[in-house]
Amino acid sequence: MPGRSQGLRGWGGMRSEVLILALIVGACTWGFRYFPLRADLKDLPPDGALARFLSATGPAAIATLFVAEVMPLLKLPLTGLVPLVAGVAAVVGVFVWRKSAVVATLAGSLAYGIAFALLG
Amino acid sequence: MREERASFWGGLGTAVPLVLGYLPIAFSFGVAATRSGLSVAEAFALSLIIYAGAAQFLAIALIAAGAPVAVAAFTLVAMNIRHVLYGPALMKRVGADARRQHAWAWSFMLTDEVFGAALGALARGRVFSEPFMFGLGLGAYAAWLAGTLVGAYAGAGALDGWPAVSAGLGFRLPALFLALLLSILQRAQLPVIAVAAVAVVVVTWAWSGTAGLLAGMIAGAVAGVAGLGRHAE
Repeated sequence: MPGRSQGLRGWGGMRSEVLILALIVGACTWGFRYFPLRADLKDLPPDGALARFLSATGPAAIATLFVAEVMPLLKLPLTGLVPLVAGVAAVVGVFVWRKSAVVATLAGSLAYGIAFALLG
Repeated sequence: MREERASFWGGLGTAVPLVLGYLPIAFSFGVAATRSGLSVAEAFALSLIIYAGAAQFLAIALIAAGAPVAVAAFTLVAMNIRHVLYGPALMKRVGADARRQHAWAWSFMLTDEVFGAALGALARGRVFSEPFMFGLGLGAYAAWLAGTLVGAYAGAGALDGWPAVSAGLGFRLPALFLALLLSILQRAQLPVIAVAAVAVVVVTWAWSGTAGLLAGMIAGAVAGVAGLGRHAE
């Protein structure tokens, strides 16, 4: 990408391409969050194709993101998989225990870091 | 169950767990952004304007790879389309008569975690109100922006002397997605999840990571249309 136009001191400037990308994605994301709030979905057939598509999009997206994040970690040597196993086990175990995505996330990250340190 | 007053401050209080979760993830985003060559201003702009963690991490990769704006925008917008589900699900929980006059503002902050926290608070007896949603949303948003700034200013070398901390922070995103997946998991959705997982692996290995993301989401959603996971809510 072209060089940055210099902005505030210490901020390092802003490329127009990055700003345009942020504005496009930000506007669309806001639209995804806002407009369905206003929509009247009472007449949407509950077993129709759109309803099924919307119902499946959430779990499909999150599963895709998780797999995409884990795939690079699977390329590590065998010892590198131990922190991954520890992290995943901690997320699952703590989620079952506390039913909190935030606490499970923190526990998984902590377990991964500890296992990494112990193997280091 | 006793119904608690759903004030702005009540929303801020409900946001405390999100603040604890968001600060380190946003910090790692700021570090990753500057490590990939983005300026502090660019990292902060992504958090300020997009405010969607997974999309922001992918944005770093796309920008660093020199992807055209149109391709990057399409990819990131497709990634965020899942957010269309949250509004109807929330309104279904609070009732069709719920006040939504200022939803144009607080809905900007309706992230995965804010949505989950709002549903959890409602289940614990909170009464839905727009001030509550503003408190909940602004608490999480402020933490995200603050974490991004600190991480971006700390810079790429911030964690060089702390490899275990760096590794742990690097696992925050997979851990978050796994936790979110567990939070919405139902037996009926397993086929959809399996189809998405297989699609992202195959297409990523055969083509590219970006194509794999799109393939996984679309294949999973189409599996839902085809009737797999038909009874999932």
